[in-house]
Amino acid sequence: MNESIVAPQGVEDLVADERQRSAERAQRADNRRRILQNAGIGIPFLLVLVAGFVAVPNFASSSNVANMLVNAAILAIVGYGMTLVIAVRGIDLSVGSAQALAACIAAATVNAWGPLAGVVAGIGVGALLGLFNGLVVTQLRVPGFIATLATMSVFRGAVLLFTGGAPIMIASTAFKSAATAKFLAIPVPFWIAAVIGAAAVFALSSMRFGKHVVAVGGSPESAVDSGIKVKRIELLAYLIAGAAAGTAGVLLASQLGVVNGSISAGLELQAIAIVVLGGTSMAGGQPRIAGTFVAALLLSMINSGLNLLNVPSFYQYVALGVLLIFALSVDGAQRAAVSRMMKGSK
Amino acid sequence: MAAVLEVRDIVQEYPGVRALKGVSLEFHPGTVKGLVGENGAGKSTLIRILGGIEQPVRGDVFVRQDRKVLRNSSDAQAAGISVVSQEFRLVPQLSIADNVFLGHELGTGGVINKRRTHELTAGLLDQLGLDLDPRRTVSSLTVGDRQMVEIARALSRDFDVLIMDEPTAALNGAEITRLHEIVQRLASQGKAIVYVSHHLDEIFDICDDVAVLRDGELIAEATIASLDEAQLVEHMLGRKPQHYERASTTAPSSEVRLLVRDLEIPGVRNPVNLSVAAGEIVGLAGLVGSGRTEITRSLFGDLPALSGQVSVDGKAVRPRSSREAIRSGIFMLSEDRKSEGILPHLDVTENAMVSRARGHLPTLQKSVPVRKDEGAAFERLRQQMRIRVPHGRQLIGNLSGGNQQKVLLGRALLSGCSVLLLNEPTRGVDVGAKVDIYQLIRELADAGVAVVVSSSDAPELAAIVDRCLVYFAGDQVAELHGPNVTEDNIVTASVGQVAEEDHHE
Repeated sequence: MNESIVAPQGVEDLVADERQRSAERAQRADNRRRILQNAGIGIPFLLVLVAGFVAVPNFASSSNVANMLVNAAILAIVGYGMTLVIAVRGIDLSVGSAQALAACIAAATVNAWGPLAGVVAGIGVGALLGLFNGLVVTQLRVPGFIATLATMSVFRGAVLLFTGGAPIMIASTAFKSAATAKFLAIPVPFWIAAVIGAAAVFALSSMRFGKHVVAVGGSPESAVDSGIKVKRIELLAYLIAGAAAGTAGVLLASQLGVVNGSISAGLELQAIAIVVLGGTSMAGGQPRIAGTFVAALLLSMINSGLNLLNVPSFYQYVALGVLLIFALSVDGAQRAAVSRMMKGSK
Repeated sequence: MAAVLEVRDIVQEYPGVRALKGVSLEFHPGTVKGLVGENGAGKSTLIRILGGIEQPVRGDVFVRQDRKVLRNSSDAQAAGISVVSQEFRLVPQLSIADNVFLGHELGTGGVINKRRTHELTAGLLDQLGLDLDPRRTVSSLTVGDRQMVEIARALSRDFDVLIMDEPTAALNGAEITRLHEIVQRLASQGKAIVYVSHHLDEIFDICDDVAVLRDGELIAEATIASLDEAQLVEHMLGRKPQHYERASTTAPSSEVRLLVRDLEIPGVRNPVNLSVAAGEIVGLAGLVGSGRTEITRSLFGDLPALSGQVSVDGKAVRPRSSREAIRSGIFMLSEDRKSEGILPHLDVTENAMVSRARGHLPTLQKSVPVRKDEGAAFERLRQQMRIRVPHGRQLIGNLSGGNQQKVLLGRALLSGCSVLLLNEPTRGVDVGAKVDIYQLIRELADAGVAVVVSSSDAPELAAIVDRCLVYFAGDQVAELHGPNVTEDNIVTASVGQVAEEDHHE
């Protein structure tokens, strides 16, 4: 009909070719993402580990290792909850205050009704506080950042009111020994963190709930169109984050033996730092529980190393802030790298 | 046979717009009903209502004679309505299989049966003739494959009614044929299919009957056999198809304003070569994902090129950001007018003036916007552009799509650009304003601007451009000149097919 149309060399070829290239691109992008994710946490972890062994006296002593593992376990459990919340594009700044309130109520309950009741009370209080956060976010439609900034203050006020500013001593030795007890030479809290972590990994990778979390965080519109109850998933994420903070609070109470209204201040920053450092993207839809776990170990080693070196605690704040910025920049670089990859540049 | 789905007197309103003005339709098992109409006729609104995503202001939906209120998409799915939406509704981080079964996962007690999910997904993909690993993440797929996954997803549900909103927009020839076979097989299994398409030949190929919407009203409903293409188009437009007259008054001058040499752009396979003369309108055609969007974005500095040269009026430019691009005389209007074009909280005057070239203005006006001066400038613009607004203080967000686009064209005009890149210039613009906008584009070109129009609307390109480049999967597959710029030629080339010999008028 006309010569101006150039006959393409067969549609099927072009399409197959395009498909081939996109598959390769995807593979490369995937690899790069994995490398950046693993390097972002793996390299600092190894560096700190080696530095700790070489340069820090008593770093590898059995009591210090046990101490680091317990601290890491408590932090990791809070981090799991935070991972979930960040994966649905939220954030929970109230974890520190919630943990303090849960720990204090748990301590008081232990003294009044015994250890088991204390455990239940601590976790229950945490879950209730998380539920409250979730309701504020999903029902009152307050953005998560502001909502939990507010409840951070509310919960902190509540715990100070509850304790009246005085410390609560835990009388039960059984309760106090839980944090230091060992099973197969490893502290019990660490086992608990590992088991909860494994359960979380399973829930995220193989359960309906996990797919819905990824969908809500990755593409909220798709989630709505797929008939997923987005608000329910968000509510559950905040609730679980609260329960996790409560669980960690119980372990913390057991570890400390004495709790007061001002414990766990600044925990939210540590929790966010380990989550992001572990490879969970702030953009949502990409929870990485295992990364959170490793990052909790890393942070615990840094804190312990600085303590053993008698570095003033002020520097620890600096270190934490720097670590958080590093983690976020890796997150940003990773996203940029992947999107460049997807667009096909070299 | 009784209707499986029926809507009665559906009315839907958005702020300032009546999208549906009382539409009643029945859908019967075993039939494919085509739903056609111009952009903005209300097709998408109707589909969103049937899918439970929007709730009508008035009117009822009946499923098997039972009145149903579809509050959300799970309600619609429970009622047996499955929708293949026009926008992609996939979660990029999840695998194909997880996406297909998202929201109705297989398994017990919240634990997903991965093996069965993969098997069933593989089966569905196979049915669609797609050889893909169900475990691959969706973010790694081509646009065409994503569309197919979207269709697989709709098929994975139990449904009586399948609504397909322009399912072939991103597919190639072979895939379209396969999809048509599937649609007809489903219909023969007793499903009711609602098929929305802009390609009328598709409608004639596979539909049993057709419903025409125009401006939110049901204009006609008939069996396909009782209509021919001309009648259908007449129903859609509400008048005889009157083609926009290409004003061939001024032949494009030989003065080249935009020259692109061997420009390597991420996402476009081959280096791009392009030259646009003063007064010339060049079209870029191609399906979604063909690379034409990348080309305009790259020229506007939004997607920096890897190598190659761009020159405007003989001066080499290297746009690395939109700001630089505007400085070097290139202006672009994005296809996403709402989020990348208008400044919704500012009024029309401010919207038109925001990119104004200030070089030649008096000192005061250079540094601060002077209301009186801008008001006068807008008044001139309003008459010249035939913008229908009561006054310059009107917030742009409240205007119709066509008027918004005119204001944005005014913005481009005032920026004093030599090269204007337009993306989907009449998306969401009603029929009347469309012709206006075509004329304005022509006038801009006649004033000496080099215009590049990137559009998925083949009739639009056929109507306004002097020369049309057709892209397919990152390749330029055709260059059409003058009288060869026809809708048919553009469409055939952009789905990667060789033009056919018999060509009906």
